[in-house]
Amino acid sequence: MLTVILQQGINGIVVGSLYVLVALGLTLVYGVLVQINFAHADIVTLGAFAAYFFTHVLGGNYLASIAVALVVGAALGWLMNAFIFAPLRNRSNELLPLIATIGVSIMLQNTMLAWFGPIPFAFDTPYSNDVIRVAGMFFTVQSVLIIVVSTATIGLLYAFMKFTFLGKALRAVSQDRETAGLMGINPNQLIMLTFVIASALAGMGGAMLGPVLVLTPFAGTSVIVKAFAIVIIGGFGNVEGTIIAGLLVGLIESYTTQFLDPGLIDIVVFALLLLTLALRPTGLIAEKREENV
Amino acid sequence: MTAAALTVPGGAQSLSNGAMLFRAQGLHKSFGGVRAVRDISLTIPTGSVFAIIGPNGAGKSTLLNLMSGIYQPDAGKMVFDEIDMIGIPSHRRVRCGLARTFQKIRLFKQLSVLDNVIAGFHTHHDISAWQYVLHGAAFRRDHARCRNEAASLLAFVGLEKRAQVLAGSLSYGEQRMLEIARALATGPRLLMVDEPAAGLNAAEVDALLDRISVLRQRGVTVVVVEHNMDLVMKVADRILVMDYGQYLFEGSPAEVQANPAVIAAYLGADFQ
Amino acid sequence: MSSPELAQQQATVIRAVLNSRLFWFIVAAIAIGLMPMIFTDSYWQTNLIVCAINVMLAIGLDFILGYAGQLNLGQSAFYGIGAYVSTLLIMKLGVPFWIAFCCSVLLSGIAGMLLSLFAVRLRGHYLAIASLGFAVITYQILLNWISLTQGPLGIYAIPPPPALQLPGLPIVEFKNLANLFYLTAGFAFLAYLLLDQLVRSPIGETLTAIREDEVSAASLGINCQAWKVFAFAVGSSIAGAAGCFYASFVGTLVPDAFFITESFTILAMVIVGGMGTLIGPVWGAILLTVLPELLRGVGDTRLIIYGVAVTLVVLFMPGGIVQAARFTAAYFRILLPGRGAGA
Repeated sequence: MLTVILQQGINGIVVGSLYVLVALGLTLVYGVLVQINFAHADIVTLGAFAAYFFTHVLGGNYLASIAVALVVGAALGWLMNAFIFAPLRNRSNELLPLIATIGVSIMLQNTMLAWFGPIPFAFDTPYSNDVIRVAGMFFTVQSVLIIVVSTATIGLLYAFMKFTFLGKALRAVSQDRETAGLMGINPNQLIMLTFVIASALAGMGGAMLGPVLVLTPFAGTSVIVKAFAIVIIGGFGNVEGTIIAGLLVGLIESYTTQFLDPGLIDIVVFALLLLTLALRPTGLIAEKREENV
Repeated sequence: MTAAALTVPGGAQSLSNGAMLFRAQGLHKSFGGVRAVRDISLTIPTGSVFAIIGPNGAGKSTLLNLMSGIYQPDAGKMVFDEIDMIGIPSHRRVRCGLARTFQKIRLFKQLSVLDNVIAGFHTHHDISAWQYVLHGAAFRRDHARCRNEAASLLAFVGLEKRAQVLAGSLSYGEQRMLEIARALATGPRLLMVDEPAAGLNAAEVDALLDRISVLRQRGVTVVVVEHNMDLVMKVADRILVMDYGQYLFEGSPAEVQANPAVIAAYLGADFQ
Repeated sequence: MSSPELAQQQATVIRAVLNSRLFWFIVAAIAIGLMPMIFTDSYWQTNLIVCAINVMLAIGLDFILGYAGQLNLGQSAFYGIGAYVSTLLIMKLGVPFWIAFCCSVLLSGIAGMLLSLFAVRLRGHYLAIASLGFAVITYQILLNWISLTQGPLGIYAIPPPPALQLPGLPIVEFKNLANLFYLTAGFAFLAYLLLDQLVRSPIGETLTAIREDEVSAASLGINCQAWKVFAFAVGSSIAGAAGCFYASFVGTLVPDAFFITESFTILAMVIVGGMGTLIGPVWGAILLTVLPELLRGVGDTRLIIYGVAVTLVVLFMPGGIVQAARFTAAYFRILLPGRGAGA
């Protein structure tokens, strides 16, 4: 029994760390823009497809495909910011950019549906089938890879945010855009940088999720709803909170699958989300943001 | 009922009674470690003009937000017209007779000037629910009444010719006056204005002063948060001076001008 | 009377008529009356019914989003609740249609109230996600609660509304698609009238105030949360009514009709039509229902078109079709005799 719990625990952390990658992108963008990019999910999906095509059609190396997906993600982020968020930034209605991203999301999903069709793609990597056995538990090398890459990436990002000038500038912009601008930081460039980083993370997440999830044009959607939950539970704009919340959701998912019913995962996660919103709308871990009157 | 929005029954008499319309005691408010308002107490007599002044960051706007209900104090008591205000949200305070304008103008920019004022009548529609769907005679009477009263309020602030203009296209000074007209539409007994003279030229400030005096004559108690010394000295009956969120001094304009602590903290070389 | 004077009189009368709401309502009623006579094949009559249902969904959402300013992504859930409540009542408990209809409206309205009571304290983004979460949960419940809803297999053989027998008139059968269209379009028309009356009353001003600036609205005595709940209740009730009609029209009810993409579709109709006006979503619903049918070869790409349309509209013409129409009208300055004479 203990073995099962531990096994599922590790599975949960594997999945959770991928969710963290995806959710971090969302939370970073929210931090600087106070906007949610609904199309974030589709960047994940496109990252997965890009990695798939790199490996299965072009015959490339899986590890390299993660890098490819990263670049694809970054490019998409650049495009979205340049053509959607930047032009809409000065309109007073804060719902418009949100709705625009919903439009982009619908567009991307259905374009992928038209190109790739609804039938799932089998995304096997050389690592999916190698299994390690430790203390009665089974892990695929893929899982190990995921944990290693995610942890390294998240760690790098965290260090970047805390210790480098750019990282601090990013945090400055998210706290007070005007003042940051007065300090000589160009908010627009930083916002673009944030988008690119966020989308690159999403792309990477997609490349690693591809083998784990069912790869259809809607793969991203299945992740995004959980990513939203994670960002809310962890607190919008709060990096540490997102990491904790992401791992938590991953664990909840694997334990629900093991002990309840896989079909209930979405319900459990969202019920938790709604509960969080009911009790602490700014997240379990975040601080409150007071509105200036 | 036209003048009712601007006249308070028995208002002039209350002034001579010295009845206190608003009383606050020991108000505290902190934001994450920053103590914006510390131990502030005040009493505002009915039918007077009460000013709150102080340097930037003194906590004046926070105090106003506490009084109007946007923030709830961390500690302290507040009574308006013998009704306890602690815990009462801002929209309910309007029904009690408290109205305010904002430092950063918050008009409905996509609506016309007239529609902005009409929005202020929200608490004064006296028609039953089904009238909203069926638009019967009572509805039409209410509609007409609101338009007439709004027009007279606009005349009060000198904007009657601009009734159909989009609020967003008014000049800054006109927008300020519109905000006041809109707040008056709620039929307040106490009107709080937050830095009304900011961005106004001398002529506009004079017009504003005049309107505040007329309001006082009609029995409306006015609280003014201001930087502009001229305005405050000319129109206020009593002045509360704040600094660093705390009480510094309270008195008549003459007393405030003469008080050395006030001069040191705030007026300095500006005022001789 | 000289010729220019006559022309000017005519122009004034024409302008008065065009500005009269009654005139346009009569036009709409006539148009609704004529539709099934113009489109006599069952394929197009089916589309007309779907149009009417979508109009109801769209104006309901617009009341919440365009007027109260709340981004409600849960409209598909209220639609589904309405459909399943009436169907289950009719099929499992034998409840008469119109009572089941009222229950649908009531329960989806209550669902809307519950969602909003909980969500309206939240800022825009949180509300959007919470409503999306609500839609996901509702869909999952409809899909997984097999004993109640039969899940993906669906509920079959749902009858159309019972025949109407009004004294002195012939019996009206609703198996007849034209009659069913009149019924749904009639309700859509009534829903529109209701919302139009509300919007042109102080309630409309209140919701607009809330949408524009909540702090400002509160300073005028408006209880923002209560009014948002009100807007949600009205918008979700109308969606529930649409769901009831949908079930009785489609005959076979499956949860997939209420997947979250439906919420996005309805959103697209509101945005493309013109958020914040009532007539906009009507046009948006009609356009986005009919257009993909006209371009029949592109059936699968219908959603791509929705996505592109929403994005472009938001970027370049946020007021949708209504805004485009106003620009066009202003550009051509409506042609009337004696145009140069002025007012």
